Amino acid sequence: MAEKVKLFVNGQEVEVEAGKNLIDAFGAVGIEIPHLCYHPALGADGNCRMCLVGIEDGRPPLVPACKTKVAEGMKVQLDAEKIKKIQRDIMELELINHPIDCPICDQAGECKLQDYYMRYDGKPSRMTVKPVLKAKKMDFGCDVVHDQERCVLCARCVRFTRLVTKTGELGIVNRTDYARVNIFPGRPLNNRYALNVVDLCPVGAMTSRDFRFKQRAWFLTKSPSICQGCSKGCNIFIDHNREKYKDDVIYRFRPRLNEKVNGYFMCDEGRMTYKQENDNRLIAPQVNGREAGFAEAIEAVRRAISGATKTAVLVSPNASLEQIFSIRQFAASINAALSGYSDGYIKAGDGDDFLIQDDKSANRAAFTLLNIDDSKAGFDAAINGADLLINFQNDLGRSLAEDQLASVLANAKLIAISSAATGCTAKSAVAVPVASYSEDSGSLINCDGRLQRYEIAVAKNQPLKSLIEVTNLIGGEIANNQEARAGLQAAVAVLKDIDLEQIPAEGIALTESEVAHVAA
Amino acid sequence: MSGKVKIMERKGKDLYERLYLVEIFKGMAVTFGHFISNFLDNSKLYVRHYPEQKPEITARWRGRHRLTTHEDGTMKCVACFMCQTNCPAKCIMIEAGERVDGRTEKMPVRFDIDLLECIYCGYCVEACPMDAIRMDTGIFAVTGSDRQSFVMGLDALLATPGAFSEEEYKKGGA
Ligand code: SF4
Ligand code: SF4
Ligand code: SF4
Ligand code: SF4
Ligand code: FES
Repeated sequence: MAEKVKLFVNGQEVEVEAGKNLIDAFGAVGIEIPHLCYHPALGADGNCRMCLVGIEDGRPPLVPACKTKVAEGMKVQLDAEKIKKIQRDIMELELINHPIDCPICDQAGECKLQDYYMRYDGKPSRMTVKPVLKAKKMDFGCDVVHDQERCVLCARCVRFTRLVTKTGELGIVNRTDYARVNIFPGRPLNNRYALNVVDLCPVGAMTSRDFRFKQRAWFLTKSPSICQGCSKGCNIFIDHNREKYKDDVIYRFRPRLNEKVNGYFMCDEGRMTYKQENDNRLIAPQVNGREAGFAEAIEAVRRAISGATKTAVLVSPNASLEQIFSIRQFAASINAALSGYSDGYIKAGDGDDFLIQDDKSANRAAFTLLNIDDSKAGFDAAINGADLLINFQNDLGRSLAEDQLASVLANAKLIAISSAATGCTAKSAVAVPVASYSEDSGSLINCDGRLQRYEIAVAKNQPLKSLIEVTNLIGGEIANNQEARAGLQAAVAVLKDIDLEQIPAEGIALTESEVAHVAA
Repeated sequence: MSGKVKIMERKGKDLYERLYLVEIFKGMAVTFGHFISNFLDNSKLYVRHYPEQKPEITARWRGRHRLTTHEDGTMKCVACFMCQTNCPAKCIMIEAGERVDGRTEKMPVRFDIDLLECIYCGYCVEACPMDAIRMDTGIFAVTGSDRQSFVMGLDALLATPGAFSEEEYKKGGA
């Protein structure tokens, strides 16, 4: 348990965590101190002065909350008239040249200036001279759009490129009215995490070209999930909305805080993987290249299985722990060889030492846990002499060249159970659509052995069956996640002491100590 | 047909009332009296001769919507979705895009109002920060032969002029 200190806020005694600054410590117990430039991942810069608070009998009597650590017995004033006046004055200063673009600003609804104006200011403008005009809609590269007029010069974006990506593309040039955030001439943002400045910017000065004008923030439902762009498993929010007469569609991914995995950030590539959830989906079941009913497709799969002499089963390294387990069970029940071959998901040398990993699959660690072979030799052995290949979600076209795939399919009939329309589903004798991860729930193990859970985020108008349900329909024993979890607990030693139904928000590290700790 | 026959008791205090017929003829005399006098001269009727005679509408009347324009003909709407957000009937459907007429940055590429769902409350007009949507067309009767014809699109909304002068409209409190 973290150490606590007792102090006074507006005369009332409050117990907060020791060692933190006032903003974080108070924020954790639900007391807000307005701030613009401070961000926990970027440290205190102390440039905006929005966070000034009074310290009774303190020397100095006014301190920036972002730079002040909590101390035993401290008497903090947040609602004194002089503090309120400072907050109003800072707001007025920020708004002197602000364009108040809210009607056309993508940040509206999640903008700190708007929020703080409503909460701490609420005064009409006293400006009688024309505001200073600055550049708008600037292309900063990496699909980041900058609006100098909306900027409050908090330098969060600048600090991000200096402290986190260490690329330093951004800077604040000039002073006073002339101060602007800018790139160096001809050197736009050029790093794989650039879009994080859009989330970091407390106002609408940094916006994403991809999301630009697509939705207003208040229409979006923000569902927690896990990114499946690589094996890091960054925690995300899936922001989605069902417009009138339309389907539930994802508009963006945003990073969600998990200190143990991704902190406050995620990579740009992962952010864009939301498109795969919307587009190029396998919607209608297919039998021999033509659209078919769902029952007909299932029947065709069952017939193919009973007619086959040797069957091989291929599983995707993106499948959840529960899915892989139920597929393993199913493969064993029909005496099929099981392979997780997916070399094409690994992009050697692509990873870095921050978040991005070489392995672009979300759950390869589960293969080790469940003893699933993902080698080429294993796949060749499994497919050798087989006349039926059942492919669960694995995009084989990524691992095999066109001619190799053709030679595999020359002998074996292909059944594709997939959420995406890929080259494989087009070549299959039977294709059965299933729900993708944004429409399903399950557990993943990331590259560091951390077990995490994602829940259903999107509900389509025509919901597809989950992979486990389809596996069950074609002969698998396991009918749902609960059964799979019970089975996993019984079968896998490492999971024995973990309650798979109750995985904490930060996930569980599958190491001896933490497992023991959770069980205790 | 062998329905249940129910015999009603005749009401009335004496024979004259129980007879009914006398009262019925007296009533018919009034009806026919009005019919004949109106038939010969209908100028004294107490009702409006709609649709030949249109009602007078004040500037505050909430009629069919329109989208307003600047002097140079560009639309005032900036696709902020305030009207759509405020609409209790959820009958405004906007899609926003990049502005192409040289003003600011954002404009609607689609702006549909489903008049069959609209309850003519005027909340959209109140919500608009740009005075871009008004209900001052003076159109109070919208007709159509199918559902789709009641969905007003961007062009139709922009094409209809206001029925009142700017001063009159502003007097209405706008
Ligand atoms: S940054 Fe905030 S206050 Fe400024 S225009 Fe955008 S939403 Fe409005
Ligand atoms: S662009 Fe945003 S994050 Fe960067 S200095 Fe301006 S307000 Fe701060
Ligand atoms: S008048 Fe009312 S119901 Fe009709 S579009 Fe406007 S806000 Fe919606
Ligand atoms: S009509 Fe007005 S409120 Fe509606 S989107 Fe356009 S500008 Fe916004
Ligand atoms: S948050 Fe403390 S000065 Fe900006």
